[in-house]
Amino acid sequence: MRWLRETWTKEGPGIAKDAATKHGLALFADIIRREWWEMVKLNLLFILASLPVVTIPAALAAMASVSVALVEDRNIYLGRDFCAAFRKYGWQATMAGFIMSSAIALGVYAAVTYGSLATGDLLFAVPLAISVAATGFICVVACHDLVLMVMRDLPLAQRLRLAAIASLARPLPAIGAIGFGAALWLVHILLYPISIFMPATLNFSFGMFAVTFAVHRAAVESLSRISVRTSREGGAGAVTQNI
Amino acid sequence: MASISLKGLNKTYGPLTVVHDIDLDIADKEFIILVGPSGCGKSTTLRMIAGLEEISGGELRIGGDVVNDVPSKDRDIAMVFQNYALYPHMTVYKNMAFGLELRRAPRDLIDAQVTAAADILDISHLLNRKPKALSGGQRQRVALGRAMVRNPAVFLLDEPLSNLDAKLRGTMRSEIAKLHKRLSATFVYVTHDQVEAMTMADRIVVMKDGRIQQVDTPQQLYDRPVNIFVAGFIGAPPINLLPATIARRGDQFVAIFDAQELPLPSHYDKTRIAAYEGREVVLGIRPENFHELPPADIPQQHLAPFTGIADLAEPMGSEVHLNITAGGRNLIARLSPRFKVAVGSEVRLIADTSQMQLFDKDTERSIHH
Repeated sequence: MRWLRETWTKEGPGIAKDAATKHGLALFADIIRREWWEMVKLNLLFILASLPVVTIPAALAAMASVSVALVEDRNIYLGRDFCAAFRKYGWQATMAGFIMSSAIALGVYAAVTYGSLATGDLLFAVPLAISVAATGFICVVACHDLVLMVMRDLPLAQRLRLAAIASLARPLPAIGAIGFGAALWLVHILLYPISIFMPATLNFSFGMFAVTFAVHRAAVESLSRISVRTSREGGAGAVTQNI
Repeated sequence: MASISLKGLNKTYGPLTVVHDIDLDIADKEFIILVGPSGCGKSTTLRMIAGLEEISGGELRIGGDVVNDVPSKDRDIAMVFQNYALYPHMTVYKNMAFGLELRRAPRDLIDAQVTAAADILDISHLLNRKPKALSGGQRQRVALGRAMVRNPAVFLLDEPLSNLDAKLRGTMRSEIAKLHKRLSATFVYVTHDQVEAMTMADRIVVMKDGRIQQVDTPQQLYDRPVNIFVAGFIGAPPINLLPATIARRGDQFVAIFDAQELPLPSHYDKTRIAAYEGREVVLGIRPENFHELPPADIPQQHLAPFTGIADLAEPMGSEVHLNITAGGRNLIARLSPRFKVAVGSEVRLIADTSQMQLFDKDTERSIHH
């Protein structure tokens, strides 16, 4: 059974300290290749934590927190870190989830209403387009807000402001991530029943990882601007965090 | 305090005794190396110190306390294995943190210790990787880091460089030596490689067949071996061992090999040498004690001509290992790369006899040390 032992003990290629760092989709694929099993376990944890339904926002926040650690290549203790984030962000995530889901629901309702009206009168195509765009923007803001929440403790208003600015600055990565998540579900639907285990194993965690990976850079840039501004104004003794 | 004391330590497996009554005192912060051929009992001795082998007899003290029956986890030691023994399903970080987690150390402390050890070993970029992606040298650093994070009083290393290639072994040797100075801990190191022993140790313990042959500093072992085994084990290429007869020439003694007379150094104890007059002894001359020209820094009375037939010249770059046949014996001489000789031809060299070793043919023990 030496072959089995050597699966674990065979010497690897080694990792050079000055090896060229990957970026973009190459890095995305590399992290999935390395951490896919952790993501499967994360997916299962998320499902378990979401079973009471009211805990879905907290579970999303916990999943986002772990995903940020994966993106930043930090060591994680999956169960411990997930539970700690679940407890820490429970109320914040529930409140933010309520606000965002209400906003998105309003947007969807408006889009559906204007859509049905537009079939009769083309003039309603304008508010239809606006409501669709607004709903999409709120979705992107929600993605940024979720990642900002688990990256740093900020007041709600400031965090939403930062999320909005980040969404305006770099909307495409978040849209791409949302599309990736939607594609996972589409594949599940199209290949059903072969793909029956997809939601249980990877749809949620892979989707969340895609979102955190996509918005991470914008989030880091936003947070760094606060730090710079705070350090500049720190000498005066007063901290102004207007963005 | 992390001194280690072995008193009459022995290990038996049924009727077979593999370690015979070892007496050894290791000072605090000392780097001591157990060296010997395979099966000599060095790893077994190390494992008894670690608590991985039950002690059959004798006493083991660490820091002054008898630890014969103390579990390994309570002995304040950390061990590094030949095959690294990393947990393959854990990342480097978790491998290094595992010992502290078992002791329920605070998370901040674990993080600080792991980060610090990773910085020292230059493996910070590997913390979130699994062992299967790492090279042998990187895995060995992780194994060292796992030992370091616990801040043990004693490090036990069981042939940690055996699985590495020669170049990496050289690099890691100096890393381990620097680590010892940095950590100021007691290191007990086992190896079969005498080059590792000579380059890293404060003292070397040469073992054979479960017994200690000699304990001394590397240079003393090299210059004053107590028996043929130690003389032959330490030094590369190995010492040339030749049968010779002791004869008197006036008030001096010479060793006669193949009708060639090699004067014994005047600082040798003549009383001891005289007891071997007319008898056969074993003469030891190290390969670097042959020269193509008389060295200016060696007194004339310690130089003697030596003739043989050149068999094979092995160029090593900075020197040539010349294989010579004389008196039916094969010898090796380390000479300058500029020395040219045709294979099969007679070669005349100058032997420096000031460092010659003499051993009793029957007991194999040194006559003059």
